[in-house]
Amino acid sequence: MEPDSLAIRTVNLTKRFGSFTAVDQVNFEVRRGEVFGLLGPNGAGKTTVVRMLTTLLTPTEGQGFVAGFDVARHPRQVRECIGVIPQALTSDLDLTGWENIDIYGEFFGLSRRERRERGHRLLKLVGLSERSNDLVATYSGGMRRRLEIARGLIHSPEVLFLDEPTIGLDPQSRRAVWDLLETLRKESEITISLTTHYMDEAESLCDRIAIVDGGKIIALDTPIGLKSMVPGADRIDLEVEKNPDAIADMLRPMPYLRSVNRDGGNRLQLSSNDGAHAIPMILEAVDAAGDRVTSITVQKLSLEDVFIHFTGRTLRDEPAKKVSLLVGAGMPQQR
Amino acid sequence: MLGLKFLAIMRRDLKKLTRNPITLMATVLMPIVYLVIIGNSFQGQLKHLPVIIVQQDQGIYARRIVEQLLALQAGPKTVDVTFESNIGEAIDDARDGHYKGVVVIPAGFSHAVAEGRIAQIGLFTDNVDAISSGTLEAALAQAAATVHVSFVTAREPKLNEISLRPSWLFPYVDYDRSLIPGVIVMAIFMGSLMSGVFNWVMDKFLGVTECYLVTPLSRWDIAGGVLASGVTVTSVAAVFVLFLGLLITRGRVEGGLVALLMLIGIIIISSTGLLAMTFALLGRAGHPRLVGTFSGFLNVILFFPSGAIYPVESFPPWLRAFAHYNPETHSVSAIKSILFKGADFAAVRGDIAFLLIFMAIMLVLASVSFKRTL
Repeated sequence: MEPDSLAIRTVNLTKRFGSFTAVDQVNFEVRRGEVFGLLGPNGAGKTTVVRMLTTLLTPTEGQGFVAGFDVARHPRQVRECIGVIPQALTSDLDLTGWENIDIYGEFFGLSRRERRERGHRLLKLVGLSERSNDLVATYSGGMRRRLEIARGLIHSPEVLFLDEPTIGLDPQSRRAVWDLLETLRKESEITISLTTHYMDEAESLCDRIAIVDGGKIIALDTPIGLKSMVPGADRIDLEVEKNPDAIADMLRPMPYLRSVNRDGGNRLQLSSNDGAHAIPMILEAVDAAGDRVTSITVQKLSLEDVFIHFTGRTLRDEPAKKVSLLVGAGMPQQR
Repeated sequence: MLGLKFLAIMRRDLKKLTRNPITLMATVLMPIVYLVIIGNSFQGQLKHLPVIIVQQDQGIYARRIVEQLLALQAGPKTVDVTFESNIGEAIDDARDGHYKGVVVIPAGFSHAVAEGRIAQIGLFTDNVDAISSGTLEAALAQAAATVHVSFVTAREPKLNEISLRPSWLFPYVDYDRSLIPGVIVMAIFMGSLMSGVFNWVMDKFLGVTECYLVTPLSRWDIAGGVLASGVTVTSVAAVFVLFLGLLITRGRVEGGLVALLMLIGIIIISSTGLLAMTFALLGRAGHPRLVGTFSGFLNVILFFPSGAIYPVESFPPWLRAFAHYNPETHSVSAIKSILFKGADFAAVRGDIAFLLIFMAIMLVLASVSFKRTL
């Protein structure tokens, strides 16, 4: 893969805050036009990765390249090529929707004409044309988020970074944001880096997903590829009429099946690497044993199952942030 | 557009401020309220001090003393005189706090004066209130001196040549009007906090600044825009306060248009210096609470020693030294000279030079302390 075809590249990217390593030797590449997801539990380090790539934090070690520019050496060039939608809602409440976009365009040196043309097109794209002259203070959370996506696109960035774009939004607003990102993906060559911990969001939007935990990338592939990494990716729920124990003993050595467990009553839970081939065999075997299948279902592993497989079930407490003894939470140390 | 991006930040800030009229009103009205309250609580000279006169002598010199006190009541209204015949009751009333002092003119006072003997007047004052007590002593000494001088004059005519005829170098300025420079400076200080650093820290607290830091805006664009909007708002508010203050106190700018332009110039320099100072001190604060806490403190330590209320010369040496390096002292001094004395540039160039140097140092410190990362 030629570097020119890459929108993002990291080489041993590392960030330490004192003795705490938030991001540890992270390496990944994102092709131009790709939608790339960073998935991880709270405190995994994904926002820190994005903050380094968007020049908000300086890497402690390693390098990050965005649109071909080194984030540490050429931050200004990087900023000209990126659009960023931070996790917090950052539109100005005291300005109208249009003013938010117009002034933001000025930050990038766009002419009045460019701002007008692009701004109105983007407001239409995000469905806010009618409300563009209203103060943002009157917008819902979903509307603000859509406005911020439009704002982040005003200068036609090569790479768009979205950090938890749907956090705190109702299902309708989430769907609206997803549709918007889908439209962007289809209608432009833009590269999108999406940070999220919503599995359905990552699965539905991302071409590839990196699962981040403890500051490291622990798995990186397409959603399908990630699922196939987990042994026994298909789950089969079987219920028989007479003797589940005998059926379980009989099924255990059969090919395609990785595990067979009792699941209460006459039910069995099986895992398989290939559920489609395993089911006819199971039906034949139960019939041959003189029993009868009362129900059988096969279910593919969800991305959430994959996520739990890689990151475990342990709850994550983020490391305690340093708070100044002198001024309390007024001036927390950055992390 | 290169190099002018700070105008976008300025435009944004000005729009935000104009949509928060309560903030602008507070910047203008609060110093005016201070003017009214301070002007009416401190006052320049004390007035209406309740005094009892116990006149046990009806002779000519006793009457003259009483006339002097009544003249103080009718003229500058320093005292409110009440007569009482019983000295014991008069002193009890003073002890109870109903009166600030009791003047006792004993029997035989006029006779003693006429004979050239030592004649004494008794003064019982509420000395817990030292300022009132001192004022009463001074008033009575003045009254007694009149009697004494008149008496001495008859025997030693040469002393008659000594007389005090006060004359003013500048047009009359009453106490309320004399507070206007201080109130303008207070408006500048409040404006510099409400528009500049407070906006920045609030945006930082809300996470809004994050979306600026990922744009090509340089630190100069961001800091310059915040300062430019702050200077604009603060200067307009301070000029408005100037005119409102003159309107309330029925005053005028003594030096005409040139003086007015100089005043506006001083307001702009002072605003820029104070905005840069608050930015340098509080620009890295992570919570608006810090700005609120420090702003009250800074206002007190800068405003009261500025000479806006009491003359700097009367301060103890250490406070006088502090006042000398206090930018508000020089702002007050320059505004006072131009506004009331019609002073020309030469008369205030020292103050202006100090304010310019202060502004330059604070701009450097503000730019050094400003961080363009999270």
